[in-house]
Amino acid sequence: MGYTLVYTQVLEFFPYLIKGAWISLQIVVLAFFGGMFFGLIFATIRTFGNKLMNNMVIWYVTFFTNTPQLVQIYFLFFALPEFGILLSPFVAVLLGMTLNAAAYLCEIQRAGFLSIRQNELDAAKTLNFTLTQQVKYVILPHIMKVLFPPLSNHYIIMTLGTSMAAIFGVEELTGRAFNINSETFRSVEIFSLTALVYIAITFLATFMLAIIGRYFFKAKMRIIQ
Amino acid sequence: MERLIEEIPSFFTIWNIIFLAKAMGVTFLLTAIGCFVGFSVGGLLAIFRKTKSLALLPLRIFIVIYTEIFRRIPFLISLLLMFYIFMILKISDNLFLIATITVCLIATAYIGEIIRSGIESINQTQWDAAEAMNFSYFQILKEVIFPQAWKVILPPAFSFFIMFIKDTALASQIGVMELTFAAKILNNKGFSPLLSFGTILILYFILSFPLDRFGKYMERKLVTNRN
Repeated sequence: MGYTLVYTQVLEFFPYLIKGAWISLQIVVLAFFGGMFFGLIFATIRTFGNKLMNNMVIWYVTFFTNTPQLVQIYFLFFALPEFGILLSPFVAVLLGMTLNAAAYLCEIQRAGFLSIRQNELDAAKTLNFTLTQQVKYVILPHIMKVLFPPLSNHYIIMTLGTSMAAIFGVEELTGRAFNINSETFRSVEIFSLTALVYIAITFLATFMLAIIGRYFFKAKMRIIQ
Repeated sequence: MERLIEEIPSFFTIWNIIFLAKAMGVTFLLTAIGCFVGFSVGGLLAIFRKTKSLALLPLRIFIVIYTEIFRRIPFLISLLLMFYIFMILKISDNLFLIATITVCLIATAYIGEIIRSGIESINQTQWDAAEAMNFSYFQILKEVIFPQAWKVILPPAFSFFIMFIKDTALASQIGVMELTFAAKILNNKGFSPLLSFGTILILYFILSFPLDRFGKYMERKLVTNRN
């Protein structure tokens, strides 16, 4: 006992911390869209590919969803130099998160593909839609309605996952909290403040994603569950 | 690569294997305790959140805030926060205890949310019918809601069990002797990172793969049941 919380010292570093949140945002957006891109390729292979490629993707997804992201990044960061590939912390974290996200987003997007029914496509063909029209008016609206909620969910999970980057020395939100901690030794104050910033940014993200999902894709989304 | 092959016999000595097995046990224990507590307390939270009496309103508000907050803080931050709170209040310096409590708090929030969405997936008409038959609240849950809801609860619950196995890797950051920390120690002893982290990746895979398969199997089975 006998510990008083003093936030004044820590609050001086608040702008510095917020700039860290900006770097976190860069990591998560880059990794998310990288993961979306590779996930889309993998999901396409899973749906239309031949048996060999299909199995390769299945094993990729199983491996990456069953091992911790942290250890994957450790592996990239410490084991790849043995082969002469030296990654900077930022690149290692980004690569690790992208590979990991690709596995999860592949599964999510495949579920979206499977949600389209053949009779919808048949109906579109009957109406003499061209392929681009089919994609634009039938497939995409349907897929996005199903996909948007789990995708935005995964985006939030990835935002929380970026805190791992601090372990490798990337100066994002958590990394900067580490720096401030070693400068002021106000540990509880700084980490509770960082937690509040994380709550704020994920809440903002949920809010914006819910609005986008509701008005553009007519997905059923709630801000507070 | 030649160095790697030379290292393998000295890596897989009895001492190292026991060391890794113990670390694997710690990872497993952390996850198991977290999931058990998460399931029991989370279930209670979900049940109380569906109550309607005015007296329990503060409790419901607390539950909403609790689940919303703990699902929005990264595990690493909550772990460090818990660690430093324990340190300044001088409660205990048992690192395993600190990690376990944090895992339990987070598991409760996540699993409570899963159970709640399971309960909410049941149609309102079922509640109304049971109430019309003069069932009490707990009778409704026991006889009507849970027998139907567990099919919705189990598949996501399994994927969260796997998530917890993987999240415990972060406990290495406060120095709990689990798999990732063991890998770091072996790496510091001079073994190739390829070997130490590669082995750990495989061990994590061994832990979570059966759960993953079982969860997928349940999912398939339950989905065919429902149609």
